[in-house]
Amino acid sequence: MIVKVADFFTFLNRCFSEGVGKFDEIILPVKSSKENNNLHFASIKKGARFDFETVQLDTYRTIDPVKVLYYLSREKVLPAHYPPKRRLIIGVKSCDLRALEILDKAMINNEFVDQAYKHWRDNAIIISTDCLSITNTCHCTLTGGKPYSESGFDINLSKSFYNYHLTVGSQKGEELVEFMKKSITIEDDKPDILKNVANQRQEVIELLNKQNEEYFRSEDYSGLINSKLSKWETYSRECVGCGGCTNICPTCYCLILNDETKSEQFVKVRSYDSCQLNGYARVAGGGTPRPKMAERFRNRYMCKFSYMKSNFNTIGCTGCGRCTDVCPAKIDFRRTVSYLDK
Amino acid sequence: MHNPYEVIPGKIYDIIQESPLIRTLRINLEKPISFKTGQFIELSIPGIGEGPFTPSSSHYISETMDVTIMKTGFVTEYVHKAKVGDRVGIRGPFGSRYPLEKFECKDLLILGGGCGLAPLRSLFLTLLHDVEKYKSITFLAGAKTPQDCIYKDEVTNWRKYDNVKFLRAVDVVPDGEKWDEEVGVVTVLLKKAKINTAKNPAVVCGPPIMMKYGTMDLLKMGYKEENLYLSMEKKMYCGFGQCRHCVMGKYYACKDGPVFTYDQIKNEEAIWD
Repeated sequence: MIVKVADFFTFLNRCFSEGVGKFDEIILPVKSSKENNNLHFASIKKGARFDFETVQLDTYRTIDPVKVLYYLSREKVLPAHYPPKRRLIIGVKSCDLRALEILDKAMINNEFVDQAYKHWRDNAIIISTDCLSITNTCHCTLTGGKPYSESGFDINLSKSFYNYHLTVGSQKGEELVEFMKKSITIEDDKPDILKNVANQRQEVIELLNKQNEEYFRSEDYSGLINSKLSKWETYSRECVGCGGCTNICPTCYCLILNDETKSEQFVKVRSYDSCQLNGYARVAGGGTPRPKMAERFRNRYMCKFSYMKSNFNTIGCTGCGRCTDVCPAKIDFRRTVSYLDK
Repeated sequence: MHNPYEVIPGKIYDIIQESPLIRTLRINLEKPISFKTGQFIELSIPGIGEGPFTPSSSHYISETMDVTIMKTGFVTEYVHKAKVGDRVGIRGPFGSRYPLEKFECKDLLILGGGCGLAPLRSLFLTLLHDVEKYKSITFLAGAKTPQDCIYKDEVTNWRKYDNVKFLRAVDVVPDGEKWDEEVGVVTVLLKKAKINTAKNPAVVCGPPIMMKYGTMDLLKMGYKEENLYLSMEKKMYCGFGQCRHCVMGKYYACKDGPVFTYDQIKNEEAIWD
């Protein structure tokens, strides 16, 4: 289906100003500053004025992963009462959707369900968008991904000049499209637009391939997995162990649990933790399985390429490159993998 | 939908000071908790925090629970300040159990030291419930000094059974303390116990260093890797495989363990630390 970009924004505008669609919150990527093209997710509340200027749906991923909207940095898990809150999340990129698939496996499975996470998942509609440009740490194609989504969304939008090619990915998406049709025009597919979307997608893949051509990856990461600790020591020498990479990673979900009970009712609160921190796995009495920085550094890579592969049957990296962006020591994740995997 | 963070409140009805650093909390539970011996729970001190501990009572008892805890860190310091009547919370049970069915008709060896006797007491009491099912049970327990020995009041009872042998060793006997049992690290008892290792199971739990050398000794004696059951103590924070603090390679100590066979985990990194 095809919808005009202007029409889609008219619909969004009505959602904000007139409460169309009954969304409690609409979340979309906006420019973080005038100086660069960095984006972050902003939440626009019902009734707020909507500024088109700062919204950018079709460039590359935001600074913060979409994880932060589902797996909050701090959240009460007992008692598990969550107010109903219908959210529309727009401009989610393929790397983040693939990460949500991994978080789903980690958080909603046969053994347990994290109720807060499930609540946020159940009550959000995702409109994903194709990446029409990339940032210099993007490397989804190295991890088996693409700069556009093929699943995991309710609706996907691929921009083609003044139009969006719209793909429905779920029942929720289907319903939203029907609802949109009441206030804006949605037309049938046009071959020239489909062709242009396909061409654009190929162009972005080529950009990614060119950007990352120097980085090596083996089929099964066996080189990396079997690397000796001395090799890891070489590459982790500059790591200060701040844990920024794990906090910003869309697939990291390690948590600490605090007891914040003040009355009869027991209260448990979870917040992010990081395996890069020295005290992470330390037990009472002082023993820790990974006392050296190099061991903790290795743990993150092993988690992504070996442990998550064993547990979830998929590697835990979607190639968003945020860990490289955030690193105060400028350690490039791609380069480390490339070096160790050879 | 079940909330894995659900806490079952309980009240301490008795405290046994086992040794200067180890005490057993006896807890009345508001709702019964059915666990299988070997599994662990998370015990909360309200407003302070929680930690993973293994019940030390038999799994045939679900209305009350004994938990034996050593004073060794932040939360356990508060455990040692707790008084009879105080409220605590329990989450769980979590993780794997001792496979009792594999111990039937066998000569079972239990090797433990220090506060590692806590889960072993649970196992032992559970085994005593139908002790005739097992060909023999040899329980070897170690402690630093005679006053560090725990479950002192129960020893006489434990030695009443024909097919049960309960032997103790202490590392040293300080001046002024009385001790007429073995002296040395717990593994010295292995020679004394005359054990038949072929196809028989052994269970090990204790401080990391004891588990490491205990396991090595048992392997040397001829125990098979798949018959050695280890209770691995890691930082089990959530209890069900979410928080990842207790990962040992592809395994989680909390949901794949805490009871592992040596065969399962021998190739994972830093298992003894």
